[in-house]
Amino acid sequence: MHRVLAVAANTVKQILRMKIAVVFVLLLLVLLPAMAYSATGDGTVKGRLQTFISYGMSLVGLLLALLTLFGVTYSVTSDLVHRQVDMILTKPIRRHEFLLGKFLGVLFVDAALLVGLSAIVFGVTVYGPRFMGATERDRVQLANEFFTARKGLRPKEVDVSQEAEQEYQKLVKNRELDQYFEGVPKRIVMARLIQQKRLEKRAAAAGRDLVWEFDGVHLADPNGSLFVRFKVDVSVNPQDLQVYSKWMIGDLRPLRSGGQPQTPIYRAERKDQIRTAREFEVSGQVVARDGYLAVGFFNDPANNTVVIFPIEDGFEVLYKAGAFEANFLRAVALIFVKLVFMAALGIFAGSFLSFPVAVLLCLVVFLTGTVSGFVLESFGYLGSQLSVVYEYSLKLLVQVLPQFDQISPTGFLVAGRLIPWSMVAWTGVAIVGLKAILLLGVGLWVFRSREIARASV
Amino acid sequence: MDYAVETISLTKTFSDLWGRARVLAVDDLNLQIRTNEVFGLLGPNGSGKTTTLKMLLGLLYPTQGRAMIFGGDGADPKINTRIGYLPEESYLYRYLTCRETLEFYGRLFGLARRVRKERIEALLDMVGLKAVAHRPVGTFSKGMARRIGLAQALINDPDLLILDEPTTGLDPIGTRQIKDLIVTLSQRGKTILLCSHLLADVEDVCDRIAILYGGKVRAEGKVEDLLRQADRRQITTGPLSDGVVSRIRQMVSSEGADCEVSAPLEKLETFFIRIVSEAQAQSQPTSGAVSTTRIGDFLAQGWDRGDVLDSLVHSEAAEPTPGVEPQVSPASRPIETPAPIRRDVLDHLVNPGQEGDEPPTQGMDEKVA
Repeated sequence: MHRVLAVAANTVKQILRMKIAVVFVLLLLVLLPAMAYSATGDGTVKGRLQTFISYGMSLVGLLLALLTLFGVTYSVTSDLVHRQVDMILTKPIRRHEFLLGKFLGVLFVDAALLVGLSAIVFGVTVYGPRFMGATERDRVQLANEFFTARKGLRPKEVDVSQEAEQEYQKLVKNRELDQYFEGVPKRIVMARLIQQKRLEKRAAAAGRDLVWEFDGVHLADPNGSLFVRFKVDVSVNPQDLQVYSKWMIGDLRPLRSGGQPQTPIYRAERKDQIRTAREFEVSGQVVARDGYLAVGFFNDPANNTVVIFPIEDGFEVLYKAGAFEANFLRAVALIFVKLVFMAALGIFAGSFLSFPVAVLLCLVVFLTGTVSGFVLESFGYLGSQLSVVYEYSLKLLVQVLPQFDQISPTGFLVAGRLIPWSMVAWTGVAIVGLKAILLLGVGLWVFRSREIARASV
Repeated sequence: MDYAVETISLTKTFSDLWGRARVLAVDDLNLQIRTNEVFGLLGPNGSGKTTTLKMLLGLLYPTQGRAMIFGGDGADPKINTRIGYLPEESYLYRYLTCRETLEFYGRLFGLARRVRKERIEALLDMVGLKAVAHRPVGTFSKGMARRIGLAQALINDPDLLILDEPTTGLDPIGTRQIKDLIVTLSQRGKTILLCSHLLADVEDVCDRIAILYGGKVRAEGKVEDLLRQADRRQITTGPLSDGVVSRIRQMVSSEGADCEVSAPLEKLETFFIRIVSEAQAQSQPTSGAVSTTRIGDFLAQGWDRGDVLDSLVHSEAAEPTPGVEPQVSPASRPIETPAPIRRDVLDHLVNPGQEGDEPPTQGMDEKVA
């Protein structure tokens, strides 16, 4: 182990003294305070902080990932090109120990810089409101919606494929298919019917209600608050573009049987702008002891329109399930997981490729992983024409590579949402435990098998 | 018989991208180097010397045959603990200081902190780089880099020292110091494999040599055996009068042999070192040569007093291989004494002098060949 640590310590010196890290660190040290000053968001204090933490953590993650892949590939390939390996590998060190030392050295630099730079982002975020003229109302809003780690409850998706199929058969039987879907393939007709049925489950006609039920709701503080976040769409726009509604929140089970509720029931009449995200606070005491919670919505007949809660962001109940500080820590851990993968990828590429080619390979993997959702979606359309080729080549490759955009922590921090430890652990296992170790293993095997010296005759 | 270094039918072919053999770098090489032997591997550029060393050290894989060090694989860490290697160029980390460089290699050998520190200080002292120990090696001249390269090769007190072109880039004093060091290490039981195309270096220090050409051994044996001219005799005397010289000429002529009388020339290397030493004694300023004579001074004064080198080299010499006649290094002769000059070689190298230009013989050492 002392040999691995010796190489690791040397790698740290190499990255620092060859000024590989300097450019990245200087860039961050200039950009972070500049962003803190210039971030405006939606004009509110919360908006400014959201903008800062979003760009700040994204920038830290991006630049450290680039530093990692440049640093580790340079460190390995430079030693091969400039022949330092000839001196090192004739000492009592095994080749895999040499590469592991490089890997650990880069990770040590990453960890130190990540801690330092995250501390800057954290400090600016936490102490920023003092210098932004935050009012008491801002502070309350920040405490409830930003400096928190909230869990979100969304209505479960109901399987409507059976209903859609029945609707399709009905259209066929009534010879109405051509009337509505002339020349459209069944696959697309079914997709539209399924979407229609799903929306029906989230829609209430005038004078009708909707009830969402949740289990397993456990608040970090039972006396804390719930936040109902919703956005409504309508079939016909009301004149004032407002929707009138009544809400009941609590343990509604006894009401159905005419019994006495075991929890306080929150009741409210509201008037909300359509197609605009709204949020209101409810006491956490409305949650039953067994973790049951029901939210009832009544569409006032005066609206005279169908109210729909869009699938993506129509309805959600948020509650505080952790502290901002711990959530921030988990966000940093997610970034570190990404850096570990990049370091392993750099070792793999550097074990058999020259510096420019290794960097190019790492960049392609990194950028593909960063926009994997977009890539899969884009090629998914193409894939319908080239299904076999696509399924077993590009799609497989993108899925095998880590999908960094799926584990981006900034979205969670901006919305004050909880990053569960389970997500950190699963990400660690899936990306580090499997993919990074596999890459590292292949890199070590290649390096162990290859001739280190070059022909010189 | 156990050898420090042994190759059996060692062959290396470099292939192109398509696997077609392009260069036969080493061809069926069989070498045996005994422990406590100074062995010189000679050959012109591209003769396969360095390729052989790299196969011995596991940096290249043989196409055929075997390369063994101390009976094992040169890439085995257990074997590596007993090897010191100085490549043809000192491949150092430019950003590390002199002391950090040695510290790094010391850590690779797993030397305890205290031992490491002691050895580093002693080595810095020995190679004369103590005054610049804090400087990054990237700022060093080639000669200084060579010195630090040599120091790292000795950090583990190796039983086998493999030196590839060790005097490349060194000034004459540095070259001399390396040779002195080789002799001293040999006296202390170490085995040395010296790879060079500088014949004078090899001749001065090696017990046995092998000459490679085209990857094959063309000649191998003891230096004295290979160079001895059995049909010639050389007598070196003190000052002689012209009369005595004349009588000697007559005696030699009566035997029917050629006779050449001249005053021996001092070796240029010895002359150069003397001049520089005198300049140093007068404390004349120089930009970076403060370190250049330290090995020589140290070695000249050191091995009787047993100071730094004793701390660097274990006193217990490597066990000689049973049944093997101990090798006597020609270098164990005091190098400081100018060696006789082979006039036939010298005549071959320089234009013959005009008649009547014969140097005066009175009051000078005289050489009769």
